[in-house]
Amino acid sequence: MKKNHGLLYTLPTGLWVTVFFLVPVIIVFLYSFLDRGERGGIVWRFSLEAYRDMASPTFLHILVITMLISLAATVLTLLVALPCAYYMARSKRKSLYLFLIIIPFLTNFLIRIYAWQAILGNSGFLNNLLIRAGLIKNHIQFLYNEWAVIIVLVYSYLPYAILPLYSTIEKFDFSLLEAARDLGTSHPGSILRVMVPNIRAGIVSAVLFTFIPTFGAYAVPKLVGGGKNSFMLGNIIADEILVNRNWPFASATSILITLVTTAALGLYVLANKSAARAAQRKKT
Amino acid sequence: MKKIPVLAMAIACALAIGVWAGGKGETSGGSKVLYFYNWVTYIPEDVLQTFEEETGIEVILDEFASNEEMYAKLKAGGAGYDVTIPSGDFVSIMIREDMLQPIDMSKVPNFKYLDPEFLSKITFDPGSRYSVPFFAGAAGITVNTRQVPAFEKSWKIFTRDDLKGRMTMLDDMREVMGDALKFLGYSVNTKNPKELEAAKQVVSLWRDKIVKFDAETFGPAFARGEFWVVQGYVENVFTELDEALAQDARFFIPDEGGPMYLDSMVILKGAKNVENAYKFINFISRPDINARIADFLTIPSLNTEGRKLMKEKTAYSYEDLKRCEFKEDLGRDVELYESIWHEIRIGK
Repeated sequence: MKKNHGLLYTLPTGLWVTVFFLVPVIIVFLYSFLDRGERGGIVWRFSLEAYRDMASPTFLHILVITMLISLAATVLTLLVALPCAYYMARSKRKSLYLFLIIIPFLTNFLIRIYAWQAILGNSGFLNNLLIRAGLIKNHIQFLYNEWAVIIVLVYSYLPYAILPLYSTIEKFDFSLLEAARDLGTSHPGSILRVMVPNIRAGIVSAVLFTFIPTFGAYAVPKLVGGGKNSFMLGNIIADEILVNRNWPFASATSILITLVTTAALGLYVLANKSAARAAQRKKT
Repeated sequence: MKKIPVLAMAIACALAIGVWAGGKGETSGGSKVLYFYNWVTYIPEDVLQTFEEETGIEVILDEFASNEEMYAKLKAGGAGYDVTIPSGDFVSIMIREDMLQPIDMSKVPNFKYLDPEFLSKITFDPGSRYSVPFFAGAAGITVNTRQVPAFEKSWKIFTRDDLKGRMTMLDDMREVMGDALKFLGYSVNTKNPKELEAAKQVVSLWRDKIVKFDAETFGPAFARGEFWVVQGYVENVFTELDEALAQDARFFIPDEGGPMYLDSMVILKGAKNVENAYKFINFISRPDINARIADFLTIPSLNTEGRKLMKEKTAYSYEDLKRCEFKEDLGRDVELYESIWHEIRIGK
């Protein structure tokens, strides 16, 4: 009889995931149901106050803003990423373009955000250019509002959307498009009805890879946000830990983010399953 | 049943980490050391060297960036420090939590140099039984006079239409709310809902004129010419400026005053080198040493004799600080400020 070494082989990964992922999540989950300590930390007393605090109009407003910003960023990212990925997949210089997509990763994320400050700032390149060209007299405030947050989020997560789209489009059999057109569809129609369903997995991954990180964004709204409509859930968590020392509320908020993103993942799994089932049906 | 081993593993790991963290003990037998837990760049290196040369006591230095960080580390236990420098609100917390030793002032003769007028304002440790004041300071406003030649030394600057989109304030609820409260003539530690509501109205007006609440990037952005009027700590701005702009930048604490901080030296319960701690605290309070530190920080000294020995010009004067008020620990009432602050942030 052959002995099953599966557990042994997966032990290192299992331990890693347990210690650095599962344990923290369990701690955060537990803390969200405890009472807040006077100076931060928690008191070991069951309490639902953190979740009750979420019902405040202020918090709900921030939740809605966060939703809207990350949805807008996701849709915009997809709109930009699709043509990019399509062009890359059909191009002869695929590896060059792939390399170009990866280049931003060679620079630190924060430094790239600061670069956006230098570009869009009140005394930034863009404003200087417009003023010198005589198009405007005083600076336009591009930064420090929700649109700046959305633009920088789109920029930040664009590569994560392009790559899965590229890999599915590349595998797509383009002769299918010709076949569709031979059968009388218009060019856009063939893309919409033949290509999109075939690269669905790529689209769903692209959406998830943008929506999940943007929903928990912290640094981007902090650095290029401002005004009334760019304070996001990530900023609440930092505030509650660093300033208000309300650990349970910070934990509850991050549980909420985890739940929303897990729900998104759940939809992904469901979509994949139904796609697989549809494919199965076609074959039989 | 796959779930049980994972959960058991999780619990075992959590326990193991707890045991490992708790079992870390310090056994320093020698009395020629001092474990000192200080703010980042708060005392120049050469001052510590002088102390080591004069006393033969080696200072083992560890640094923190915020009161919360320091407090959390001490509370977690097993740090083994002798002396640290918390801000006032944390001194009161640490006294209540029984983390500090009473100070025998007969061992700190240099305490007499500390400004009595300033000492009388201390509410977090009345009579200085547990703490020896180190340095005090306050946030203020830095103005780029190239762009803004004329201005009043008042918080009113944040309602100026012509500066809209060129100003920032700290992303710090106690500071900004404290400014508005002082502007209205109230205490920065008020718990009166009516006064807080009035302060909220003031901050809302400011919010509409400033670019953002920012505690990280306003210094470099001021240096780039992006922002012309920024509220914050002087060292966060001037360290970023080239000489020309430093000449044209003015820092002031508004006439209405604002909140201020006072950091004090304390000896921790369980300190193993208490005598060395006294020597160190007395050394730091000596006028010539105090003046060297004040010159390094370029902020006013609380040491009446030390002030006379200073060589550098400070960004603001001791008189400016007199208009300010200490931030006190609000305990759970901090929630009053929290909800107002979040409402301000989303424009409600």
